[in-house]
Amino acid sequence: VQEEPVLSVQNKQAQHFDWALNKLDSSVRRTGRITRTLLLRIFHDMCRTGKSALLLLRSCGSLLPEVPLCERTELAHMIWGKLQDLGAVYDASHYNALLKVYLQNEHKFSPTEFLSKMEEANVQPNRVTYQRLIAAYCNEGDIEGASKILGFMKMKELPITEAVFSSLVTGHARTGDMENAENIFSVMRDAGIEPGPDTYLALLNAYAEKGDINSVKQILEKIEKMEGYLMDRDLLQVIYSLAKAGYPQYVPDILSQMRYERGYIPDAMNLSLNLITQGLEDTAFQVFKSFPTLPSENHSETSMDYGNFFLQHCVHMDKPLSKLKQFCDELKEANMHSSPLQFTLYCALESKKAALAINLMKTMKEEGLPLRPHYSWPLLVGYQKEKNVQGTIGVLKAMHELGVEPDVETYTNYVLTNFDDIQTFRALLQENGCPFETEGLSVAALRHEAIYGTLENITELLYKDGRYCQTPPGPAEAVGYFLYNLIDSMSDSEVQAKEEHLRQYFHQLKKMNVVIPTNIYRGIRNLLAAYHVPELIKVCGYINTEVSALEEELEKLKAEKQPIGNVLKQLIVALCAEENMQKALEVKAKYEPDMVVGGYAALINLCCRHDNVEDAMNLKEEVFRKDSSVALDTNKYLALVKVLGKHGRLEDAINILKEIKEKDIPIKDTTVTSFFHILNAAAMRGEVETVNRLHESILTLGLAKPSTNLCTPLITVHLEKDDVPSALEATIDCYKKYGKMPRLHDILCRLIEQGNTELLQKAMDFVSQERGEMMMLYDIFFAFLNTGKYKEAKKIIETPGLRARPGSLQWFAEKCIATNQMETLENMVEMTQKLFECDRDEMYYYLLKLCKISNDWRKAEATWTKMQEENVIPRARTLRLLADTLKNNGQEVPFDVPEIWYEDHVESASVLENNPEKKVLMLCKKGSVQAVSRSIFCSNIFNIRTVVFIISPWCSTIYYRIRSIAETHIKGFTLNDAASSLLIITQVRRDYLKDAISTLKKVLESDMVPMSLAVIRLIQALAMKGDLESICTVEKMVENLATSIGLSRMLFVNNTVLAHIKKPATDLFLQYVDAGRVDDARFLLQVIIYQERNSSGQKIKTLLDLVPDFPDMKIVYSYLLKSLDNDVVSAKTLFEKMKSENIHTDEIFLKRLAVLLKNAGEPVPFTEPPESFHFYVNKLTQERQEISSHAE
Amino acid sequence: MAATRGSSRRVFELFVSQIHWTLATKELRDYFAQFGTVRKCTLPFDKETGFHKGFCWIGFSSEEGLRNALQKESHILDGIKLQVQQQKRRSFRSQYTNEGETDMS
Repeated sequence: VQEEPVLSVQNKQAQHFDWALNKLDSSVRRTGRITRTLLLRIFHDMCRTGKSALLLLRSCGSLLPEVPLCERTELAHMIWGKLQDLGAVYDASHYNALLKVYLQNEHKFSPTEFLSKMEEANVQPNRVTYQRLIAAYCNEGDIEGASKILGFMKMKELPITEAVFSSLVTGHARTGDMENAENIFSVMRDAGIEPGPDTYLALLNAYAEKGDINSVKQILEKIEKMEGYLMDRDLLQVIYSLAKAGYPQYVPDILSQMRYERGYIPDAMNLSLNLITQGLEDTAFQVFKSFPTLPSENHSETSMDYGNFFLQHCVHMDKPLSKLKQFCDELKEANMHSSPLQFTLYCALESKKAALAINLMKTMKEEGLPLRPHYSWPLLVGYQKEKNVQGTIGVLKAMHELGVEPDVETYTNYVLTNFDDIQTFRALLQENGCPFETEGLSVAALRHEAIYGTLENITELLYKDGRYCQTPPGPAEAVGYFLYNLIDSMSDSEVQAKEEHLRQYFHQLKKMNVVIPTNIYRGIRNLLAAYHVPELIKVCGYINTEVSALEEELEKLKAEKQPIGNVLKQLIVALCAEENMQKALEVKAKYEPDMVVGGYAALINLCCRHDNVEDAMNLKEEVFRKDSSVALDTNKYLALVKVLGKHGRLEDAINILKEIKEKDIPIKDTTVTSFFHILNAAAMRGEVETVNRLHESILTLGLAKPSTNLCTPLITVHLEKDDVPSALEATIDCYKKYGKMPRLHDILCRLIEQGNTELLQKAMDFVSQERGEMMMLYDIFFAFLNTGKYKEAKKIIETPGLRARPGSLQWFAEKCIATNQMETLENMVEMTQKLFECDRDEMYYYLLKLCKISNDWRKAEATWTKMQEENVIPRARTLRLLADTLKNNGQEVPFDVPEIWYEDHVESASVLENNPEKKVLMLCKKGSVQAVSRSIFCSNIFNIRTVVFIISPWCSTIYYRIRSIAETHIKGFTLNDAASSLLIITQVRRDYLKDAISTLKKVLESDMVPMSLAVIRLIQALAMKGDLESICTVEKMVENLATSIGLSRMLFVNNTVLAHIKKPATDLFLQYVDAGRVDDARFLLQVIIYQERNSSGQKIKTLLDLVPDFPDMKIVYSYLLKSLDNDVVSAKTLFEKMKSENIHTDEIFLKRLAVLLKNAGEPVPFTEPPESFHFYVNKLTQERQEISSHAE
Repeated sequence: MAATRGSSRRVFELFVSQIHWTLATKELRDYFAQFGTVRKCTLPFDKETGFHKGFCWIGFSSEEGLRNALQKESHILDGIKLQVQQQKRRSFRSQYTNEGETDMS
């Protein structure tokens, strides 16, 4: 069986498109335009001419090795029928293609019927038709039938080709008559045709089908002797015949003859796939193993995996597990694949073959390979979509039996969404012998309820599931936070209506020994107070950690000889919260054997707070004696360092720092800040050694990186003792060691105040040498300003050649603002008036900032006058600041205040983007209980992980969820501008464009202002969809807002054009040209060129051919040149073309071309314009402007 | 005026790609924990297929963790090499500016 080379199909395809393009082209040339109707007609013509039909039909044979033979033929028949219904008219080429497909698919059919069908359709069979019909007869061993067709051929005087003889070889062989098959060769020679590879291949296949490997070998040898040539592809055919006929044992003999020509691998791969499809996977595997392996460069590091295609197809063809396992083992043994079982599992999961996947996992488990909960997700996803509860349960059960307990994510994302209520689900699990009490499920259930649940369910959930109160602190906090959130999200009336419910609920919690942390309790209490339900507050108090209640509980448990560790810890924590150190220590002493780490940690912290260094260290040693691996959290270590430093126990403090390092305690930015405070405290006490040693330890241990801030105490300690020379030494030392110069300004100020010119000189020399004269001048300028030596300061700033350093000026201004130094700041602003490149508005802005802070409207007004005097043009923000200050003091604002909307919103949006918690916070702020919710969110005491954990399922769909929860629970809740804009962006991202438009509509209707980004995104998305109508709609909607929120008109123009491009652009282009809107047309062209800039200019050239009469060819060519990038050949051709067409080449064009040629090392055949590229661009712009102004 | 994130929010991020499908968040977290405290591990899963998308972000709580991870020449997990690179800072504003350019307004 011969295969149609893929290449020729591609050629046909290309020709086909050429033909369509030609038609378009000629139409444009003739009439100068094409219409949509014409375009559509061409498309329909394409269908009708059936060229695509041929292509499709041809693809239904051996090009589909992965599809079973009969299915391929079915596919061909389906296409045949469909296209016929669509009006396709078939000719001989189609019938021949169908015949080829039949032969390739070994489809049994009646050649006579086929012929009569052709006759009915009035299609004349040709030579190829007859040849293929002969092949069909011969494949069935029907020599008689073949002879009949041969008769037709002779009658029509059609030549008999090698193909016919080859078929006859096959035909005789299949009747079992090998002698006659061999005889065909001499018949051929008699007829003057030398047998070629096809005929020999037919004979080889014939012997292969008989399992006569000796004859096969002999023929192969004979061919070789004759210097004949069989391709690998032909030999693969022989392998196919051997395998099909049941002689796989001879396959290696043929494989050994392969030459591994180019293209061997794809051919062999296709054979392999074909064999798998036909149930001959063992042979397929043999063929696959014969692939010459690619030399892997770094074998040890990256293991190349071979055989993925093989395993995948085996899975698709439902090969039994034992077979798959056998292949995997072999691949593994042969080092061809690093993880064949995993890959096979992947295929099974991907094709949703649940039973196979689970069996594979069993195998993997037996082999000791890890199984992970997420392996079940692809299956669960499928069942989730189908809402197939049984399927879901089945997978969970199987996973359970495999010893893989689903985790929270599994339940949350893939399971619980299938069930309306969790009880049913639990019952189902129980029925099916699955565990229904796992931690993953409980936590997921809680999260699920947090999103979808009703109060009833939550109560029940918490009630029935005692686990939440067993392992504090996490769950206790989770419950507490959960309660808080729950109550927070209810409206007044809802709380009041559900008062009884809540009361029962609190009682239940109490019964379950649920205790929530005091800080959360307080939050809840405040909420309840706001809802006017005092009775509930009382009940809620039952679940708070009250010391007395805990003590009672402790005694009770002790008496009952029950474990007290938990309650003891709660008691210690409660006592710590009350700052009752004495009592806490007593309790600890009394129950020491039952103390847990958490209790110790709280107690250590308490002792540190109370400056009780002895007990703190004793407790620390005590807990470490119990368990040396215990690590405290960062803050507690820091508290220890602080208190040790304070009490002069420097070595101990350093040891703690070492421990922080050894135990790899996480260092946060706040930790570094704490280091600073510890150092600074020591500096304030004047303890030079403490500061130096601690600082050194922190840095050498790598706990923090050297920073100016952290170095500051090294200098502060001297300044505090008024030892300025040592301070200067220290800062010089600091610079040498860490490249920082902390507190230089303070040192300079002190030196000026002290009149220590000698040291001042030394300091200035040092600065000048290390950071340059300019920096030195600024440093000294600020020092003079700060010490009120304005005359000296003025002299410095008037140093010739000095430029404005915005960063330095800002630093000093901010410092003045922070320390409320109005006079100093005023002086600086005044003195810098003549400073080169000084941003005057910026200077006055600082001044106004301070005016606003000190609420000095008179000064603000005076500043405003000064600005006018100085002819400073204020920026919008400066005006707003001024207006605010005036308004706050009941003064009239003597100018129009620019609208504020943009910066603030973008900024807040970006913060939100990065910070889901803040999103929630921000959205919550709109609600009625904002203050409490904020404090809870921000409070350090509260475990932020819990918050994140509880809300994380919301994050992805936060806008929808929060909004719907908030809207149902909080009266009058609406999203604010920024949140709405984010909603629009999210909707766009998810391709909910209709929703996005309606959100935008709502935003505008409620007089809110959307962020321009939201509108831009929406417009862009619509353009990509080619949705012109909606772009128009949106444009109209935001018409009035467009300028105020900074939407350029071009946004709509560009995207309208883009939308057109997504549709046929030509129409619009020609409309523009017709209407004389050359600019728009030119612009469209630019956009198209821009869009196509990566496609090598070919499209642009095509475009040019389409629009030969474009009014301004010069521009088109310049764009074309621009688009050519570094394609020198095309550029030269273009230049020649322009010359031949007498098109004027302007300077920009020549410049660009010259650069391009020079870059490519080519000579420049014209005088290169001497100026820079930009010069000509500017020149052209100016010229254009002049022209347009003349025109006006 | 680009949004300045509070320094305490800074996360030192790695972008990890070519992650084998058999690995999930837990495995990645455990692996990268050897270089420093992993503050976050974001491995997006495709809710349509149930497979992850082959890449993730690992956020260390300190720069040191990040540096340690980057210093290691190759990262091999379950015998398969991971592609590890530093996450370039994603600035909202710059993203926005780029988009402004493409619509050529």
